[in-house]
Amino acid sequence: MTCRLYENELSAYLDGELPATRKARLEAHLRVCPHCQGELQELSGISHYIRAASQELRVSQDFDQRVLRAVTSYQVVARVMHRRRSLVRPLIAVAIVLLALLGMVQHFLLDRPTQPLPQPSAAGAVVSPPAPAPMAPPPRR
Amino acid sequence: MEEAVRPHAGQADRGLAGANDTEVVRACVQGAPEAFQELLSRYRKSALSLAYQMLGNSEDAEDVAQEAFVKVFQSLRGFRGQAAFSTWLYRIVANLCLGRIRSRRPCAPLDEAVAPAVQEVSCGGVAETLVTRQVLARMEPRLRAVLLLREQGELSYQEIAAALGLPVGTVRSRLSKARITFREIWTEFLEGREKEQ
Repeated sequence: MTCRLYENELSAYLDGELPATRKARLEAHLRVCPHCQGELQELSGISHYIRAASQELRVSQDFDQRVLRAVTSYQVVARVMHRRRSLVRPLIAVAIVLLALLGMVQHFLLDRPTQPLPQPSAAGAVVSPPAPAPMAPPPRR
Repeated sequence: MEEAVRPHAGQADRGLAGANDTEVVRACVQGAPEAFQELLSRYRKSALSLAYQMLGNSEDAEDVAQEAFVKVFQSLRGFRGQAAFSTWLYRIVANLCLGRIRSRRPCAPLDEAVAPAVQEVSCGGVAETLVTRQVLARMEPRLRAVLLLREQGELSYQEIAAALGLPVGTVRSRLSKARITFREIWTEFLEGREKEQ
């Protein structure tokens, strides 16, 4: 293995994420390679710089208030939506019942046949269509 | 309404201060008014810091951190405590940042604090912080994300992989590349400074 290949493992080694066999091999190499030792030291410095940089951040004084306001308005919206949802189902049920009633009303009251149905003359008899009315004689002059 | 997220902590707050994150989340789900404030005070700075280092802009960082906390609040009932609360929060922050970076124009301006004039940089902690921010800002977002989640969020490779939807092997190689890139840009930056002097 060349230094180049070991260099690719230094990062995982720093993080304690290198498998045991590779870790042992890398440590053996580090004992004899000043170049890789230097690389390891430089890479470990990055952690220090990033953590230090994150410590020096200024937070707006009203940050908490803004978050809490946003969360509160979310709660308001969620409650309104919940109330709406809780109203929607009963309304749909009422609407279905009303539609069913309207359908029944239409069926029994409005859709009654205009002509009475022909009565069967006898059981099993073939129902014949009603005879046409005799034509009136032409008017005399 | 207001009482559910009231910023002023009451008696119970003293109990929450000693509670672990999962207990605080549970208290929050059960409606303890001060529990969310406790989470906010524990993670406000680290969430903001991660967002700031990712985005290089304090205004955007505050927007993202705020959005992240609201998302957390919305999903608290779904938090089972299998991962650490911080891991969950950082995952939300990192993904919001990556989304924002993707929707940005290519060369969004950096905060003045992030992009210091080269001649202003001298030795010392403040200068190091400025250079660090400048170097991070020059890195590819995908490399910056893994590096910050590891170094600042202190997430394991497995957690970073879950947060960003990547295989662990990709996290390992990306992190190695991120560190090498960081060092290269850092060196370039300091060499540029020496030339100007």
